[in-house]
Amino acid sequence: MSSTLVAKPLAQPTLRRRSRRRRWTAEGVIFTTLNTTFLLLLAAAMIYPLLNTLATSLNDGMDAVRGGIGIWPRVFSLKNYEVVLSMHTIYQAFFMSVLKTIVVVVTNLLFTSMLAYALSRNEFIFRRPITLIFVLTMYFDAGLIPNYLLIRDLGMLNSFQAYWVPVMISAFNLIILRTYMKSIPEEIIESARIDGAGEFRTWWLIVMPLCKPTLAVVGLFVAVGSWNSWLDTLLYNSGEQWLSTLQYELQKLLASSMNAGANSGGNAASAASVAQGGQVTTPISLRSAITVVAAVPILFVYPFLQKHFVSGLMIGSVKG
Amino acid sequence: MTDATVSTLVAGSGPEPDPEPANGSRSGKRKARTNAAKDPRREITWDRIWAQRVLLAMAVPLLLYQILFKYVPVYGWAIGFQDYKPGRGGIWEQEWVGLENFVDLFTGVNGERFARVVANTLGQSTLTLIVGTFGAIVLALLLNEVKNQPFKRVMQNITYMPHFLSWVIVASLASVALSLPSSGGFINQALMSLNLVDEPILFLTEPNYFWGIVAGTNLWKELGWNTILYLAAITAIDPTLYEAAEVDGAGRYRKMFSITLPGIMPTIVVLLIINSGWILSTNFELPYFLGNGLVSETAETIDVFVLRYGYELGNYSLAVVAGIFKTVVAIILVGSANLAAKRLNQETLV
Amino acid sequence: MRTARTKFSALVMAAVVSVGLAGCSPGDEEVPPEDVVIPEGELADQSGTLTPSNPTELSVWITAAAQAPAPDNKITKLIEEQLGVTLKYEIVTPDNVDQKIGVMLAGGEFPDLVGTSDLEMRLLEGGALLPLDDMLATGDYPNLATHVEEDIKRMSYSGTEVDPGLYIIPNYNRFYGEITGGTYYGPAFWIQKRVLEDAGYPDLENMTLERYFELIEEFKAKNPETNGAPTVGFELLASKGREWGMTNPPALLAGSPNNGGVIVDENDTAEIYADKDIAKDFYKVLNEQYDKGLVDPESFTLTFDQYTAKLATGTVLGMHDQGWNFGTATQSLQSAGMDEYTYVPLMPAYEGVEPWYADRDVMNSNQGFGVSTSSEQPEEALKFLDMMLSEPWQKVLSWGIEGEDYEVGADGVYSRTDEQRANARDTTWRASNRLEALLEMLPKHQGQFSDGNAYGPDDQPAEFLATLTDYDQAFIEKYGKETWRQFVNEPPENPKYYPAWNITLSDDANEINQQLTDANVQQLPKIIAGEPSEFEANWQTYVDAIDKVDVTVYEDAINDGIQDRLANW
Repeated sequence: MSSTLVAKPLAQPTLRRRSRRRRWTAEGVIFTTLNTTFLLLLAAAMIYPLLNTLATSLNDGMDAVRGGIGIWPRVFSLKNYEVVLSMHTIYQAFFMSVLKTIVVVVTNLLFTSMLAYALSRNEFIFRRPITLIFVLTMYFDAGLIPNYLLIRDLGMLNSFQAYWVPVMISAFNLIILRTYMKSIPEEIIESARIDGAGEFRTWWLIVMPLCKPTLAVVGLFVAVGSWNSWLDTLLYNSGEQWLSTLQYELQKLLASSMNAGANSGGNAASAASVAQGGQVTTPISLRSAITVVAAVPILFVYPFLQKHFVSGLMIGSVKG
Repeated sequence: MTDATVSTLVAGSGPEPDPEPANGSRSGKRKARTNAAKDPRREITWDRIWAQRVLLAMAVPLLLYQILFKYVPVYGWAIGFQDYKPGRGGIWEQEWVGLENFVDLFTGVNGERFARVVANTLGQSTLTLIVGTFGAIVLALLLNEVKNQPFKRVMQNITYMPHFLSWVIVASLASVALSLPSSGGFINQALMSLNLVDEPILFLTEPNYFWGIVAGTNLWKELGWNTILYLAAITAIDPTLYEAAEVDGAGRYRKMFSITLPGIMPTIVVLLIINSGWILSTNFELPYFLGNGLVSETAETIDVFVLRYGYELGNYSLAVVAGIFKTVVAIILVGSANLAAKRLNQETLV
Repeated sequence: MRTARTKFSALVMAAVVSVGLAGCSPGDEEVPPEDVVIPEGELADQSGTLTPSNPTELSVWITAAAQAPAPDNKITKLIEEQLGVTLKYEIVTPDNVDQKIGVMLAGGEFPDLVGTSDLEMRLLEGGALLPLDDMLATGDYPNLATHVEEDIKRMSYSGTEVDPGLYIIPNYNRFYGEITGGTYYGPAFWIQKRVLEDAGYPDLENMTLERYFELIEEFKAKNPETNGAPTVGFELLASKGREWGMTNPPALLAGSPNNGGVIVDENDTAEIYADKDIAKDFYKVLNEQYDKGLVDPESFTLTFDQYTAKLATGTVLGMHDQGWNFGTATQSLQSAGMDEYTYVPLMPAYEGVEPWYADRDVMNSNQGFGVSTSSEQPEEALKFLDMMLSEPWQKVLSWGIEGEDYEVGADGVYSRTDEQRANARDTTWRASNRLEALLEMLPKHQGQFSDGNAYGPDDQPAEFLATLTDYDQAFIEKYGKETWRQFVNEPPENPKYYPAWNITLSDDANEINQQLTDANVQQLPKIIAGEPSEFEANWQTYVDAIDKVDVTVYEDAINDGIQDRLANW
């Protein structure tokens, strides 16, 4: 029960053959051709910069500075990745990022969906005021300092709790889930009631399995948000190395590679010592490698969620 | 969905019942909900509270949690009414200045400038929202029409990937794309080889292009990502509706416009309402990194202004005042959008 | 549900605890002081405050764009072996430091040592730092005492917000002995070596803006393309945060050293020059050169990356920049064997003006380590800084370990082998063999050690020559010089107040400064890129924009700062 959100027997999907005639009309052929062409062009426009980033990350740094790299490295080099992956803090930080992301996703989905269920119930008398209170939180931010003081007063500084407790619920996801739950036909809920299921069981056993596509989306949003966040590490947990996250470490690496940066007036002395020391990698190539390392793990999440994007789950159960 | 298999539930079989107000027909359902406010069932009585104790147990602890983590820290807005200096100590050890910070921001030289950055923010993000929403819906509909599953999946995966590039990288890619051909500006290269222009255009020096550039870059980065929610919403549409329509001889376009689009309408409306409140909260990175002196009259947004005249100068009070302003505007906008949706019998937030 | 949640949090806790244990360092137990054993050798603390027999853990907060050292770092080990000190780093990059300091001050808890860059006022006002004067007066910290002795007034805080005194030990530019080093990192109008080569190594004395652009124009006429790409005559550095590339030249042309946005006259009075004739003359020339096609029209839209990329392709003949700013481009050109495309500093000046581009390095009075008020071991923390400043430790920190990272010749002169030089360039190697983040903030024995060796390899004259390529060696010889520094002026003694650009401004003055920057960034490109016939009108618009800004607030703040320095330094 704790491990997954899979559908329970009542909602277990089975495969049913349904014959659907595919009609090859002229309109259909033209549409498919145009559509495919359009999507291919779009995909090319989307993927070119990504391949460019990948190629730059696999290119020699000094050469990459000159720019003009297409989708293939000009002077192949693994040095950028060597630099990123030889960073001693990165593996522990990677583990922490994964752990943090899993915990945040599980807690967030659990609590957000539970609340979304309550707020999707039309008869729930406090539905509107509670929804309003949550909706408003999307539009204001108290600011860093009071948030920090709250975390400190709760004793969560330099602790794992600072990662997941403050983000257990997201109002945006709450609304998405609630909207989806509201579209679940009332008969399904009614029939569960007739079977003697309480609210809790109805939520967990009936509604949750039906929400799989949306849960998958919300889970993806939460996972990506948690994976990419580094401000929490900076503000709450930067004092403990073992709590550091991948994004935070990569951000520091990036900053140190761009060390030669400076403000107006310029502090020549400190920047000079770096310029003088010489670098094997350059900010441009290293930044690309960092982008790849930061994004690739989370990119793998989506293909796994895609299988939940299947039509007809809900409609099936309504006819019970 | 392949034509061979359709996932369904154990109990699922038989034809779709006629649309009934309770669930099938969107407008009917919404009518019912709108009227629910006057429904005697919604009256608050101790009996009802007791009867709904489980729902309350599900909601109230989380409500208290949210109040603690989101509403309590709002005392930090006090900074907006202070001459805040972190050096002085805590929030309650500061010098109070009343509305001075507000007067500063909204009047005089700052006021003129603030009016302009508000206009730029509105322009950039409204354009971004319109183009982005429209693009995402179109892409979702087109992807939905792809019957070849592997192709569809690959397309989805490719189009959502730019989301994972940081804005700094996207801005620098955009900057290169828009530069002169000799600097790698392939947009100019394409325009010239198509004989659309004779001379390369210095896109980033022309104030009139800037909003469009912001909207276009946003579209490129977030198109696939924004599509995900619509694709998920499409899964909720009853496949038998399509079959029934086919029997009626409906073509592909009619199915698209009279089944798929209405099917995801609640999602579209809810997202539009939510986004209407975020219209003043653009990401600051794109205007910050792509903007330059020549285009600053159209490039500078509230967040860039706050960054430069607030955080960079250690003027936290200005940042808080701007934040309060954005919140007030956001709540007005969301409230109006919500009301409009209600009037139009569409899905609403609250 | 409840069980699920409990189980889950147990799982999380288990994972957390196991990581936590792995992250803890052993050896925190208290050892009675009578067991103090001071190791042999010059690296040990003879006072017995920091010994391996009585280990000390110091938490160190550093603002630096650098990473924490690897756990197996050899210098870390050496510090532990010799001094019994383990360091717990908290490194925050400059981008993030505003936010972090904001919350840290609100929270009121600080690590033992606070290494700051540019934010000392906030930390001082927030009561984060201890005044060090009394501690130094005890005589327990001889190296630090010597370090600050001469310049203590410059290093101290003299304002009224908190008690005046010494709060941080500056990290750079307190020099011992001779200042060595052959590379020039300051501002200049740079020109590609191939341009000078092509012009037959012309005399560079009494350079003017006109001659500078003539050299470029002639070369560009002969070589409209460079390696297939159009040759760029002059690149104007104007990217975000580096607008000084566009705004600083008038002062330099007028023979004033880099004081930021102001020129300080002989009566020590500062005035902005952006709307004066010296600026107008410069932008008029730029406007003409732009019209001729010598100034890159992309100058105003290039990001810093794109700017670097353009320089690195070798197509750009010249630009105004500060030497440290384009090191990456130079290295890229050198690594591609394109030495003739790298740059030489020139110093054009207006008629009858003595150029003052190169200045004497200025002490960083606003960066460095302080001891925090919440530290429970301030003596140990300060002693650690003192030990690190001793000559033996400074050599370890900047040169490394003798025989491993550098060699000592029969004459006692330090040098490196090619392999040792290559190591020093390798980021991975550096993480295990150098303490860069720490060294960045530590006070340094810059200049020379008592044995005559330079503070670091980069400043050692023999090292400079050894790293010069054949082309560069021949080039320098053509001009009868030995170093790049000799291409620019011999820096005169700095004025007492110098430099005005690092005067701490009030909030109001800062805002005015920002408004001036905005006016520059918005108007100057229009003046430069505009039609020459509209120059006067465009210039007037710009002057009007500056008139709208309350410049006197800014000038007064600078002048107050100058007067304060003249009185106190």
